[in-house]
Amino acid sequence: MKNDYLWDGSGEPDPELQRIEKTLAKFGYAGEAPNFAALKAAPVKPSVFSALGSMWNLRFAAATVVVIALAASGFVLRNSISPVSNGPGWDVARLSGVPEVGQFALASDSRKTQLRVGQLLVTDSNSRASMTSAEVGEIYVDAGSRVRLIEAGLNRKRISLELGTIHAAIWAPPGEFVVDTPSASAVDLGCAYTLHVNEDGSGTLRTTRGWVGFHRDGHDSFIPAGAMCATRREQGPGTPYFEDASEEFRKALHGLDFETLSGEPRGQALRTVLAEARRRDAFTLWHLLSRVSDMERPLVYDRMAGLVQPPKGTTREGTLALEPKMLDAWWDAFDLGYISIWRFWEQQQAPQMMKKAAR
Amino acid sequence: MAISAGARFEAMDWPTVNTAARSELEDEALVHAAQGGDRAAFGLLYQRYVRMVHGVLLARVPSIAAEDLVHDVFLQALPRLASLRDCSRFGPWLAAIARNRATDFHRRAKSDSSIDDEPRGAENVESPQREVGVEDGIALLNAVRELPEAYREPLILRFVEGMSGPEIAARTGLTHGSVRVNLHRGMQMLREKWQQ
Repeated sequence: MKNDYLWDGSGEPDPELQRIEKTLAKFGYAGEAPNFAALKAAPVKPSVFSALGSMWNLRFAAATVVVIALAASGFVLRNSISPVSNGPGWDVARLSGVPEVGQFALASDSRKTQLRVGQLLVTDSNSRASMTSAEVGEIYVDAGSRVRLIEAGLNRKRISLELGTIHAAIWAPPGEFVVDTPSASAVDLGCAYTLHVNEDGSGTLRTTRGWVGFHRDGHDSFIPAGAMCATRREQGPGTPYFEDASEEFRKALHGLDFETLSGEPRGQALRTVLAEARRRDAFTLWHLLSRVSDMERPLVYDRMAGLVQPPKGTTREGTLALEPKMLDAWWDAFDLGYISIWRFWEQQQAPQMMKKAAR
Repeated sequence: MAISAGARFEAMDWPTVNTAARSELEDEALVHAAQGGDRAAFGLLYQRYVRMVHGVLLARVPSIAAEDLVHDVFLQALPRLASLRDCSRFGPWLAAIARNRATDFHRRAKSDSSIDDEPRGAENVESPQREVGVEDGIALLNAVRELPEAYREPLILRFVEGMSGPEIAARTGLTHGSVRVNLHRGMQMLREKWQQ
């Protein structure tokens, strides 16, 4: 293949690429530009979640005291309508029921408020809400959830999901947006995902686009689109896997992650994982390399190397020794996302990690 | 004048004064001007980024939907632009809005919605030893769409929108190295897929 031509059309033309160009060029954009000069400020529409029938506008009522009765529970809230501030925060809108932001209850679609640092957004069993930040993305908050805004700085945005489920679509640069849960932190690497936390602090993360880093105390799991990862308060993130992996694979992996298996049961679980692994499951085996014993590791490596050709610059010995550069090269070979993004985030977090450890 | 989704737009009529000067401005300066309410500057950004937005959408939704959604993306971006603090991130920010809009399209659509365009001909796409790029444009486009996300987007930007590798990197915010690797690997995978 003539790389230059594919890259920038220079060098000797490649006839095959030229045929592809000619074939596909007819699908290129041919529309007309709108008259932006004629537009007034367009109403902000929810995009990812507008299918749920939520539309809001930017007008706010004058300040009054409103008493809201929740018929289902007989619970009465008193609140005052506060206007949305221009400070850092997330715009919160009601999708159903009466979500609460601090002492403020969103009882109708025409009201909107901001979630500020330190504040808590709570949805009961009948409520749902959306959170939007122009710089970060959109988050849909399911019923029965508690979300707190932790940080809203220039290059660092952080919320904590204490309980419940959120669906996030993030457009902030990779590594800028983090969701803390009781058992692990989810670091956005350019993606959309669903994160759930149970009462006991355990949870799951499912990535629908891009990939997410799930992290606790140096224990990292990377979850690409189509994959999920469970997490437990004690153990942190488990081993991620594609959701279309076989049931035997998933069950055996769960055993390795969260059940105290030893001896033959553990050996059987590992054999099952290796036997059931497909080519695309190699990324799961990559995670297992650092989670199994020294005696088990060669089995995992040999299976992984049988599924995916070892990348240049790696050796069996170096990978078995968990040499970081070799592990990174393996990850990049899976074409699921560049590990350099994660390493950059880790470096940025290093001072904070050291502060935390010193406490 | 409020513009609702699906509204028809009139042909653009740009002011001639300072158009040449504006066209030389770097993207960051245009973004900054647009943030200050300069709609002509936003129009120039539209000209520069519309192919990228269309390509990002086309990688995820049928071509007929992509055409409509392009305007949606820019209409969503315009009121949010003031909150974009780092003007140099306009391209990746806009690309992310486009990806989210594509996701929203599939959420709204019926459960049997498909990303694929309908094939027009009766060409046998299963035939072995098929050369890449022969005849069936729709089958080829659909084959690209079946590739991993990291590959299908740069390939569509390269072959459908006619953007070069450096241009793809500049517009999407990716490094030259990333785009180059994705183009190369994507092309390899497409070739393997087409020959199956």
